Formats: sequence, structure tokens, C-alpha cells
Amino acid sequence: MTTSFIRSDDLTAFLAAMLEATPVYGPVAKRSRFVFDRLESPEELRLDYDVTILPPRKLFFSPAQDLLRFDEAGPAAALEPVEKVLFGVHFYDVKAIDQTDVLFAERNYDVNYMAHRQTTTIVAANIQNVSGRAFFASVGTEVRPKGHDAFLTAVDGGYVLEARTERGEALLGYGAFRPATEAEIDEAARVNAAALERCPEKLEHGTAEIAAKVRAAFSDDDLWSDLAKDCFSCGSCNTVCPTCYCFDVEDTWNVDQASGQRTRFWDACLTEDFAKVSLGEGATENFRETPGARFRHRIMRKAVYLNPKLGGPACVGCGRCSAACTADIADPVRVINRIMAS
Amino acid sequence: MNHQCHWTEVENIFMPREATIVRAEQATPTEKHFTLAMKDGRAMEFQPGQIVELGLFGYGEIPIGFASSPTRTESFDLVVRSVGRVSKAINRLTGGDSVWVRGPLGHGFDLAGLRGQDVLIVAGGIGLCPTRSLIQYILDRRDEFGRFILFYGTREPCLQLFRDDLACWRGADDVEYFETVDVGDDTWTGNVGVITTLFPKVELTPETRAVVCGPPIFYRFVVRELDLIGVPRENVFVDLERRMKCGVGKCGHCQINDKYVCVDGPVFSFAEVQDLEEAF
Repeated sequence: MTTSFIRSDDLTAFLAAMLEATPVYGPVAKRSRFVFDRLESPEELRLDYDVTILPPRKLFFSPAQDLLRFDEAGPAAALEPVEKVLFGVHFYDVKAIDQTDVLFAERNYDVNYMAHRQTTTIVAANIQNVSGRAFFASVGTEVRPKGHDAFLTAVDGGYVLEARTERGEALLGYGAFRPATEAEIDEAARVNAAALERCPEKLEHGTAEIAAKVRAAFSDDDLWSDLAKDCFSCGSCNTVCPTCYCFDVEDTWNVDQASGQRTRFWDACLTEDFAKVSLGEGATENFRETPGARFRHRIMRKAVYLNPKLGGPACVGCGRCSAACTADIADPVRVINRIMAS
Repeated sequence: MNHQCHWTEVENIFMPREATIVRAEQATPTEKHFTLAMKDGRAMEFQPGQIVELGLFGYGEIPIGFASSPTRTESFDLVVRSVGRVSKAINRLTGGDSVWVRGPLGHGFDLAGLRGQDVLIVAGGIGLCPTRSLIQYILDRRDEFGRFILFYGTREPCLQLFRDDLACWRGADDVEYFETVDVGDDTWTGNVGVITTLFPKVELTPETRAVVCGPPIFYRFVVRELDLIGVPRENVFVDLERRMKCGVGKCGHCQINDKYVCVDGPVFSFAEVQDLEEAF
């Protein structure tokens, strides 16, 4: 695979040519913050974003995704994936996509996610601005991002684009690229390394050490109820998390009352009813009844449970949960550092 | 990312298959017993203890354990308790209607591990439904197993399920059947008391394999009895109920600590789940 260079002045023409050929999604401004959205013009792209409100997962697994449609004749497929480019993803979000790729593919291969994923070419981009709660430099450092097709880094006078796959290589055709020089490649590496120095928050321990100690704290009910004492059980920490993927499934009728769809909706394990079952005659059993038990489940999912499958923690240090939490209790750095210090 | 496997060639794990209701019988005021056959005429191949997602379009799906043995290939049984929107809609259906099923899903009972052994099944309330699959299996292949002891408890006599089966088991010599109710009525002449009051009625050896299925509170007490007999907890199997929304290990609702009941279970050895605080 090649590493190429494009001048800053030529980036707009490159993006315009790509937009002409295929739908392109990237970070765009939404009032004072950023979201991944379909680009209407190259000027909308904001490679200087810090973090987006929602992670890019919504492009493969939308907040409401139809699993099938039905009418009187029975069910039919609802899957209509579209070839597209997802441009400008920070490396922590690429790591999160790698994780959901593993989790949706394992055991029962979920084509409803995988088809959208397979039809997406991902171009990662360097982090120009760091968000206020980020800690991506100190979490899961043993795991490198994989699931991207190219990596774009802003350097003096232009951008270095490192193709990682054939699909990434194919993007070169849209712009006035030339082979990057050794100096440009070195500068790109320095730029990416420097971003890691700018995280405002930091885990003080390694993955295995954290997993062992957090697991050992499982039965410390006082700890978890104290950590969760201000929890509203709103699930915002789940909704904004790039590695959360739990869902609920619901059928809805169309207005004809004869056809409809079976849809999955993002769900959140912090909400009160998530693990509740009906036993009949009005009786219920909630297997995670208290906010503390639910809070613990989330931290265990992020720091312990999935590590063997993923090779690292199910947290990428984006800091979205910390910023989204109304009570400001969700921050994994504070929770984990407190457990590690105890 | 594996691009080899193109999406159009892959089956959608959420796509159900049509089944026809051969028979529907109101078993108790809240439970309906359905006998189903696949519309395409093929047998449903499964292991006792596995589940299906049973669905009705416009309402949704619910996880249900098979209540009949795979040795009886012409049809399969499911018992639905009316508890929510989906189950209530399904329980309005009758013979000839269609339902939609996805499965079999999950891990059932370890039949190879049970073969040649004495087997005790302890079922409480609706817990008789998923264990009936194993009960029928053992009865259909009786010489493959050692002694077969069955305990069944319900709150009241009117809540007993599969009354024809119970009548048959009471007089049978290929199963040592004992039953109890928490509270009797005018017609009840049998044992009154919680499920554990049946243990003194029979001699059990520590080599017995025990299968336990009942309401959440049930397990602690039954396992205590089994501990006293000396049955190792690796040889005690529990069939757990959770909100298995997707049935394929994705949606997260049925998780007990790091286990997904729908794919790692619903049958677990007690040793496997006893230290998981969220299990019971």
C-alpha cells in the first residue's frame, strides 16, 4: 500500500470528486458541536473537530434499524446497504468500530450490521483538537485501530494519506496525490504522536491490572451504590458510547394495519427496565434492580467482561460518556482510578 | 474486516420461519399449550433445553423453551403464559393459525453427560415446560438412562400443567414421580408444602445428575438439598429465564455478568453460574 501527499489547496477538489461519485459522511458542525453527517459540499467537512456528539456507529447500526418488513404474505428483507465513504474518523472511533465488527460477527453473524459495515470505506483522520474529557492515550494502548481503509494526517502545507487497503488505495484516483516524501511521512507520525500528549484525562494503570482489580470489586456494594448515588438511570452514557450496542426490538404497524416492520432501537443497560422480566400476574423480577448494580454492569462491560474477546477493554477513551452525564458521574477515568487507588 | 463474505449470501438471523398451530389448549387460566408444525413440513431439530423465539408480526417475539422432546418429530410443543403484549396476542390464536419461529437457539441439556446416569428433575410451576422436553426424551429412550426421579411443585392444584402427563406419570413404573402444592384445596389429597418437602420421600445418591427449573427463588433452596445429598454442583443443571430479546447473543438484555443466557445458556451447570451475583 502507498503513502501519498495532497496539497491543502487540492483537498477541496479531491473531496468534490469523491462526493460526485459516492455518498460521503464526515464530521460537520452542529451549532457549537460536531456530528457525523452526509456531506453536501466539501466545505462542510470539519477535520478540526474534537469529538462528535454520537459515534459513527449510527451509520452501520442506526438508532432505529429495520430488521424485516411484514405484510399479510409474511416477512421480507429490509436490508438495503449503500456503498459510501466515512471520512475523518478519529482513531479511537476506529477502534470502537473494530470492536462492534467483532461482536456483531461472532457466534451469530449479524448481517444487518455487517452489510452496512462492508459497504463503507473508512478514512481515519488525525486528531487536530482534543475534547475536554478525552483519555484515548491511556486506555487499551495494546490495541491498535484496524478497520480503516486509509489514514489522513494534516501536515505542513497539506495532508499525508496512508492507504491501508485496496479500497483506500482506490480513493487516490479522486485527487491530485503524489507519493509522500520521507520527511512528510515522519511529520505525520510526529503529528499523531503529539495528539496523544494532549489528553486532559489519564488512566494510571494498564488494562490487565485494571480488569483484575475492577472484577475483584464486584461485590463491594457500598462502592457501587456510592458511585451511582446521583445516577438518573437515563442511559445517556450508553447512548453516546461508541462501543455500546445493546438494543430492543419492537414491531410497529403501518397505517394500513396490515403491514409493518420489526425494528431494533438502541437500548441502554443503565435504564431501570433493561433486565426486568415479567413473571405473570403482575409479578416482575429485575435482575439489576438498583442504580448501583446497573452502573457496575456498565463498568464491568467496559473494563472486564469483553476483554478476552477484544484483546483490550471495551472503552476507547473518547470521553463522550463523561461529557454526556448530567450528574457527571459516568467518567470511566474517575471511576477506575478511584477503584485502583482503593 | 472480512470482505470475503458478501451480505447478500448471508442469512438474516432475525428472519423467522412460519409454523402452523396444530392444536391449542388452554392449560391453566394464564397458560396456553400449543402444538406446532413447521409450514414447510420439515421437523424442528433441537435439543431439550433449547429455546425458540416465538413471534407474531405486529406484536413481537418472546423466548420460549421447547416443551416436547425432539424424539417426537411430527410436531413440537410450546407453552405460553399470558404476561405481556406479545404473549397475550399469541394466546388469542387457535388451531390452524400461523405463528413465526426463530430457532432452535442456545444451549440445551448435556444429553451425553446424562446418559447412563440416575437423573433427578426438579420443576417448579411453569418450569415444567422446558423440562418436559427432557422428561419425554428420557421416557422415549428409557434404557439409555439409570433411575429417573421427577419432582413437580406448584402453588395450587389448579396451576398444574400437562394434566394428562401427570396422570400417566403418577402410575408409571419408568419414572419415580412426586408432586406437591404450596397450598391445597378440597380436591387435593397429595403432599402439601414447598418443593423441598419432597426430598425426604426418596433415596438419592451423590452420583445423581440433577436438573432444576423454577422461579428465581427456587434454586437456592433446591441446591441446598442437593448439597446435603452430596451432589457436586457441576452435576446440577439449571435452566434460567431472562428477557432474551434477540436470542442470538447481541441485544444484551439477558446478560448475567459476562454470560449471555440466550447463547451460553439457558442451561448452565450450577457450578458455572453460582458465583455470578446476577444469576439468582
